[in-house]
Amino acid sequence: MKIWIIFKKELKDILRDRRTIMMMIVFPLLLAPALITVVSKVQMMQMKKAQEKKLKLHFIGKEYAPNLYQDFVSSERIIMIPYLQKDSIQHYIQDEFIDAVIEVSSHYNLALGQNKKASIKVYFKGSDSMGITKKRVEQIIKERERFIINERMARLHLDIDIMDAFEIDRVDISSSQEKIGKAAGGFLPYIFIIFGFMGAMYPGLDLGAGEKERGTLETILSSPASRFDIVMGKFLVVLSAAIATSFIAIGGLYLAVQQFPDIPVEILQVIQDVLSLKVFLMIMGLVIPVSAFFSAIILSLSIYAKSFKEAQSIVAPLNIIIIFPAIIGTLPGIELNHTTALIPVLNVSLAAKDLVAGIIDPILMAEVYGSLFFLAGLSIWFCVKWFNREETIFRN
Amino acid sequence: MIEIKSLSKEFKLTKQHRRELGESFTDKKSIRAVNDISFSCKPGQIFGLIGPNGAGKTTTLRMVATMLKPTHGSISVCGHDTVHANQQVRKKIGFMTGQTALYDRLTPNEMVQYMAELHGMKKDLFFQRRQSLFDLLDMHDFADRRIARLSTGMKQKTSIARTIIHDPEVMIFDEPTSGLDVMTSRAIMNLIRSCKDDGKTVLFSTHRMGEINQVCDHLAIIYNGELYFNGSLNVFKEEMTQPTFEDEFIFRVEGK
Repeated sequence: MKIWIIFKKELKDILRDRRTIMMMIVFPLLLAPALITVVSKVQMMQMKKAQEKKLKLHFIGKEYAPNLYQDFVSSERIIMIPYLQKDSIQHYIQDEFIDAVIEVSSHYNLALGQNKKASIKVYFKGSDSMGITKKRVEQIIKERERFIINERMARLHLDIDIMDAFEIDRVDISSSQEKIGKAAGGFLPYIFIIFGFMGAMYPGLDLGAGEKERGTLETILSSPASRFDIVMGKFLVVLSAAIATSFIAIGGLYLAVQQFPDIPVEILQVIQDVLSLKVFLMIMGLVIPVSAFFSAIILSLSIYAKSFKEAQSIVAPLNIIIIFPAIIGTLPGIELNHTTALIPVLNVSLAAKDLVAGIIDPILMAEVYGSLFFLAGLSIWFCVKWFNREETIFRN
Repeated sequence: MIEIKSLSKEFKLTKQHRRELGESFTDKKSIRAVNDISFSCKPGQIFGLIGPNGAGKTTTLRMVATMLKPTHGSISVCGHDTVHANQQVRKKIGFMTGQTALYDRLTPNEMVQYMAELHGMKKDLFFQRRQSLFDLLDMHDFADRRIARLSTGMKQKTSIARTIIHDPEVMIFDEPTSGLDVMTSRAIMNLIRSCKDDGKTVLFSTHRMGEINQVCDHLAIIYNGELYFNGSLNVFKEEMTQPTFEDEFIFRVEGK
């Protein structure tokens, strides 16, 4: 068996390839953490900015609701714009000249006096500042409403508690690991599915189509190594690259999360629990067969291609095919069951989510492992058979 | 020793192939690249297979090197059948093409070691053989430099070293000088001659008649997958009716 000799050589070869190193180490180690850090930083900055922003408001009908108007005037970080053409207010908001307009009808006082509802119209731009303008305006209105209701209850000699028929005590039995796992766990499979695929791509293309292009395929085919040895040696290198890339990506993410200053201690604690040896090994159990599946498919397509360029154009669309089930796995309501456990990639996504949440069903997990290992075995068998076909390796 | 008997090779044609090959292939399901050829190459002799591009030379050599399986007929290399004992055959052969066929990210040292390991050479024998080859080819200065950074001549030397590191009994050269400059071509031709001097069986394909005249003892003319001549160079010369090798070649393949 020459598999080990071929594996050692191919591994040395790809580790000297700058593109592979970029895809395998640099990107996953930096890209995922950088992406998360930048996105959350920008989001937090935007929220802070929106909250601290001085809102420019216009009030129509202040003579009917002087108290409510006063509430706005005396609120912090609010500038009242006194005179505006009423028929142009929507343009002013659209053009961000003002942030919102509050319009009170002339029946405001009459309605309130009769213990009825007074209508108030709030014009705002929902796409702006993550809805914070609307929230801040409505908060002031709500406070005035609460004051009016209190007054009404006092006038009627009723206790304010009469407004509530139930007192709901919500007892959430899910652990914080489960909550965080369900919310963020879908992200984890994304990382190792996408990065695993990316990590397998360049070595896969290089060891198949690249070998054809360089003319080295004949060199190795005329050596005493059997076709099985050659393809398995190459396959194991591609697989190693895929697994390494997945774990480097997860590792990078873990380090980034730890370095992030604004993450509460309890979330950090949950992350530590999630990345326990048991969960880590179980996730690895998912990564290995799914990476084997990717590696065998990429290598088969690469062996089929006449050139590196053709191989790239064949393999690239697979990215979308693979991302698609991974996205479905993150959708709410899609759960791991006896059917989804058999759907490749989707099962990895759902199982990883449940694993992180700590609620994985062992039977379903066994089903996922079974289907993944079966699929991996099938794709490796196909790859070996494919490499033995003269029409494939000497296609041109 | 290479014995080729009634060798044929057919390739299935796909729709794409039929489109590319033109109207005359529209109804054909397969194409015969090599058609019922027989010849033998003996140790200590250089056998030249000459023919234009697409004549069937590479297909024949690939079948001898066990990369392709014959559709009909048989090939025996040092007494081993290329289909049933393909691994034994590959242990006996060295295969070289015009492309240097090297791994750019390895060094000549690593490249040669890789091939030696694939041939199952023992370490001390490998070190000894590598030393003598590197001395002979004057490779020591660049033995640990990445192949990508070597000149064409250095690459060709590395390619020679990796082909003969296991001291094969049979050498197969598939258009080894195509695309090479005069100096490098000469080095290859010298290697072919030295293989003969060492008593190896040499099968050599080319489309240049001049090269046949330089080194071959025997030759076979192949055209459209069929043999048009098979005999010694001396007989070929005696039978020549045209002034040059090239003219004779064209006369034979067009006149038949």
